[in-house]
Amino acid sequence: MVTNTKILAQEFEYFEPESVDEALELLSLYKGQARVIAGGTDLLVKMKRELISPEALISLSRISALKCFNEDEKMLRIGAAVTLFQAESNSTVARSYSALYEALRSMAAPAIRNMGTIGGNLANASPAADTAPPLLVYNSRLKLRSKKGERIVPLEEFFLGPGSTVLSPEELIIEIQVPFLEASEGSSFLKLGRVSADIAKINVAVYLRREGERCALCRIALGSVAPTPLRIYSAEKLAEGEIFTESLIKKVALECQEKIRPIDDVRSTREYRIWVSAVLVEEALRAAWLRSGGKL
Amino acid sequence: MFNVVSRKTPRMDGVIRVKGLEKYSSDILLPNMLYAVLLRSPYPHAEILQIDTKEAEALGAVCLTPDDVPDVFYNERGVSIPAKTYRDRRVLPKKARHYGEAIAAVAAESEELAWEALKTLKVEYRVLSPVLDPLKAMEPDSAQLYEKVFFGDEEVPVKNNVACEREIIVGDTDQALASSDFVIEEEYELPRVYHFQLETKSAVCNPEEDGGLTIWCTTQSIHNVRILIGSIFGLPLSKVNVKRIPVGGSFGSSIQMNSIIPICAALALKAKRPVKLVSSREEDMYDHCKYPSRIRLKVGVNKDMSIQGVEAEVLVDIGAHQIQAYPLLGSMAGWLVSLYKWKNIKYRSRAIYTNKVPACAMQGYGNPQMNFAVESHVDLICEKCGFDPIEFRLKNHVGIGDEFWGQGPTVRSIIKSCGLEESLKVGSELINWKERGLPSSKSGRYRRGVGLARGFHTSGAGAPGPAEVIDYSGATIKVNEDGSVDILTAVMDLGGGTWDAIAKIVAEALSLPLKKVNLSPADTRTTVYDVCTHASRGVFAGGGAALKAAQEVKRKILEVSSFFLGEHPENLELVYDQEKEEAVVQPIGAPFKRMTLGEVAKNAMITGLGSIATTVSFRQKTCPPSFVTNFVEVEVDTFTGKVRLLRAVCIADCGTPINPDGVKGQLIGSLARYGGYALLEEAEYDAQGKLKCDGFITDNKIFTAEEMPFLKDVFVYFTRTYEPTGPLGAKGIGEAAGNSVASAIANAVYNAIGVRFTRLPITPERVLEALREKEA
Amino acid sequence: MREKQIALKINGKVYQVKVKANTLLLNLLRELGFTGPKYGCGVGECGACSVLLDGKLTLSCLTLAISCHQKEVITAEGLSEGEQLHPLAQSFIEHGAIQCGFCTPGMLVAAKSLLDQNPNPTEEEIRQYLRGNLCRCTGYTPIVEAILEQTQK
Repeated sequence: MVTNTKILAQEFEYFEPESVDEALELLSLYKGQARVIAGGTDLLVKMKRELISPEALISLSRISALKCFNEDEKMLRIGAAVTLFQAESNSTVARSYSALYEALRSMAAPAIRNMGTIGGNLANASPAADTAPPLLVYNSRLKLRSKKGERIVPLEEFFLGPGSTVLSPEELIIEIQVPFLEASEGSSFLKLGRVSADIAKINVAVYLRREGERCALCRIALGSVAPTPLRIYSAEKLAEGEIFTESLIKKVALECQEKIRPIDDVRSTREYRIWVSAVLVEEALRAAWLRSGGKL
Repeated sequence: MFNVVSRKTPRMDGVIRVKGLEKYSSDILLPNMLYAVLLRSPYPHAEILQIDTKEAEALGAVCLTPDDVPDVFYNERGVSIPAKTYRDRRVLPKKARHYGEAIAAVAAESEELAWEALKTLKVEYRVLSPVLDPLKAMEPDSAQLYEKVFFGDEEVPVKNNVACEREIIVGDTDQALASSDFVIEEEYELPRVYHFQLETKSAVCNPEEDGGLTIWCTTQSIHNVRILIGSIFGLPLSKVNVKRIPVGGSFGSSIQMNSIIPICAALALKAKRPVKLVSSREEDMYDHCKYPSRIRLKVGVNKDMSIQGVEAEVLVDIGAHQIQAYPLLGSMAGWLVSLYKWKNIKYRSRAIYTNKVPACAMQGYGNPQMNFAVESHVDLICEKCGFDPIEFRLKNHVGIGDEFWGQGPTVRSIIKSCGLEESLKVGSELINWKERGLPSSKSGRYRRGVGLARGFHTSGAGAPGPAEVIDYSGATIKVNEDGSVDILTAVMDLGGGTWDAIAKIVAEALSLPLKKVNLSPADTRTTVYDVCTHASRGVFAGGGAALKAAQEVKRKILEVSSFFLGEHPENLELVYDQEKEEAVVQPIGAPFKRMTLGEVAKNAMITGLGSIATTVSFRQKTCPPSFVTNFVEVEVDTFTGKVRLLRAVCIADCGTPINPDGVKGQLIGSLARYGGYALLEEAEYDAQGKLKCDGFITDNKIFTAEEMPFLKDVFVYFTRTYEPTGPLGAKGIGEAAGNSVASAIANAVYNAIGVRFTRLPITPERVLEALREKEA
Repeated sequence: MREKQIALKINGKVYQVKVKANTLLLNLLRELGFTGPKYGCGVGECGACSVLLDGKLTLSCLTLAISCHQKEVITAEGLSEGEQLHPLAQSFIEHGAIQCGFCTPGMLVAAKSLLDQNPNPTEEEIRQYLRGNLCRCTGYTPIVEAILEQTQK
């Protein structure tokens, strides 16, 4: 056995900077050989499994700027180190950002939700990341910062492949910016796992903006069906501008089914994911429509 | 009828456990202790030519390679008689036969240092091609895991990786099947699953000044560990002391001495310091698993529902070592034979070596596997022939007065108690069996189905004469000078409440309140032999021995009391005084002169009459079956393939339930374990012989609280039976509780969607695939 | 890798200990004699190592001890005080929620955390909350019953 999960065998330096600048300084000092640690639930497992071996860990636990949860009329600003539980407990999230709320509630066990963070979930970049499809359909953006400066990256451009993002080794996610939602907007998230608290075999998020009986705007994202969480633009276009009916729902779901590229893995099969993708997309579309005030 | 037995009593070890103070092997800390870690083979099949430990030793570590261990081949289970035992294990092997097999060990001052030292070991392998499929393994050009192994005292050749075979023929099945009205044939497949006991296999070994060893370890048999360690390391048994310590779940995985135990012992003897070896979870997953099986059944029945004969072909892929495959094949014959009156039987079975984790018993020992095949087959027969599933079972089941094979053909009993009829009647009413409907009548996305299966298990392996399996127990009971009672027993409690049951049996027999009866700490030096807490014999055999000891102690109490009361012992009785909460000796039916047990004991001391104590060794002459019947309701989401366990009715006939809560605990726990077996669990391998989950439970899921039905939907019922050969009427329950759960679930799925799954687990992927095929 | 001195309050008492960066909180607790939290899987899946860290349910097998300076840990040992059992612990005994007992310390800590957060959970909410605490023995039913009994108070 190459691993011994009873201990953390690796040796590394450990820092608890008190500001973002301090953290960035350290990241730069280690020239990409340091990793940031927030909840540690993914990072430490990867280290125990000998998948990564950073020279230093830079904890975000003392950086209050990263733990803020702010709202203004334009957007929700979620600090990268806000825990999954904090996000789930936020009343705005629970009330208006249904897809995100449902994703957070479906993720893992309470202890993991106490420890894990949204920023961590995104940076870990598993194709199955549960916070990704909702944040994608909300057209979220990430504020990133390094010693060289700040940049805003749309989440759609953030993921490059399994475990890989546009983040440079010396860059931090500062916050996740989620546009404010109106009453005529609805969203929904669904996932399938082997048991209740599991990494998704497949997950789906849908966002709709309703105008009367028509779907004015539609965004759909699926996870665990491609190397990264995926927006299905062609399916979205099928819905936009159309009167929302059961037959439209089926048409859109079928398009998603066509476009995904799942594989066989230890959790499920390519075929199964294709079969159920349409089922989940349909359900998510219905739920999002109803939440936007629509009727079916 | 009983004062203590059959009453709900709080677990005696409950307080220490809720306070987090219970100590398991993995919690033992000794001064001057070293921590051990193991090097495990990265190849499924490879000869170990050389291991260079110089660097590790330079770091201060103590190392162990295959050259450092005794050149002894043993069988780690030690339950079968030596003449019928296959032996292929060495403390460390010279050839690795599965990915993850331990091939070297390192101990150092800290776990971190040991691990660092381990990484410096340099191993020279000669890599061999692995065999991963049992059918391919039997082909002549496949790599051979073994040239020879030991059987009894002799070396025997191993051909085509066949570890052992058993064939049992009763009557003439060719004739019977040829003349049957219907012949139904089908093949069933059961997967490897992992026991997933919460405590990983652990040991702490302390070398003693006299050259001996004290051992704390995860085991179901302290005496067998002692005997094996003694014989492997050439130590007299009086110098090997195995402590009886709670174990964090077992489910059969510690019937055998776990592979890490002799390695730990060897390290301790070499280092001359205590050594602790705790398996990581990933190591544990590479250490043991449940026996997978392929079972082909061909059954002949007539129009009048009578069974004429059965042909069964069983193939068991046992992995890299033979732990108890030979007795398993015999037991599986017994599980088959004792389910229904087959009349004519042709049973052929083979166990095959492959380069995978060695399989071992897991709650049921082949019975859940055989039950799945038979109970699915019975439903299949009923469907094809138009029989009622309950009527068919009632007509053909082996019951009162019939001969029963417990643990195979050499262990036979006549059944004296059977609650099956009552179970079927009560259960079918509780679940509303009559309303379940046919699969063809169900429609819509969510479809519900009700399934039934019945099973049994033996209570131990006792028999009137010598058998292939050793089965006896023992107990020491002593009355303390204040009238409280100490019990010394080697019997383990794996969680089911066996210790409480033993205490309750003794309390009942001695008319004492439970609080005056204590189980003393025990070890192999202070207890007489108990073979193993397995085969559902903890209460039946272990409790049986305790009862016999209690009865002898009671005789002695009355004898001693006769001196003080001036009455002949035969005129005295021991009764329970509710008010005093004491056992009281008095003339029979005449309470005018009486003494409490406390007074008797105190006086015995003062007058120098002596201690009131006894030690017995006891073998049950029977192994009566306990019957459990499961009715379950499932809901299948035909869009996602997900099967949800909605309701369960579990009916147990275990004779007198000594711990009613304990029995309920076994039934409900089994629902979770075998719900997982039916719907979720499989330890799959990749083409390189590695587990697909690679030992991480992230990808080896078991039921959580969310997968179980709601409280109101689980119903447990005990039939009113009394087993005359059991202690106070009791039979075992530990394995009977689980044997028919998966079968009932599979039958329920059939009732929901009209698809019969002959292979477990019934995953959503397989359900959708089957539904699509059905539509096409 | 240097050692750092940390002050950690465990079950009400402050401990001054030296830890390395890679010391896991679980192993530190167990070395200090608190063997309630158990090693069950090491990857945060089984819940046997559950403790309360500053009042929050936390997996100690995935927590660096060095990050716990000046924090407060409660283990199962700290729930009951001397003879007085925590009501949940008492309830567990009464409902037969303990078999082998290995998951029990973690399970109790999780149960306490649930009731701290939500004193009146439904059965569904209890089951959801316990999804990260595995038990192979009991089938969870008596555990859920034991916790449910405490919600009626």
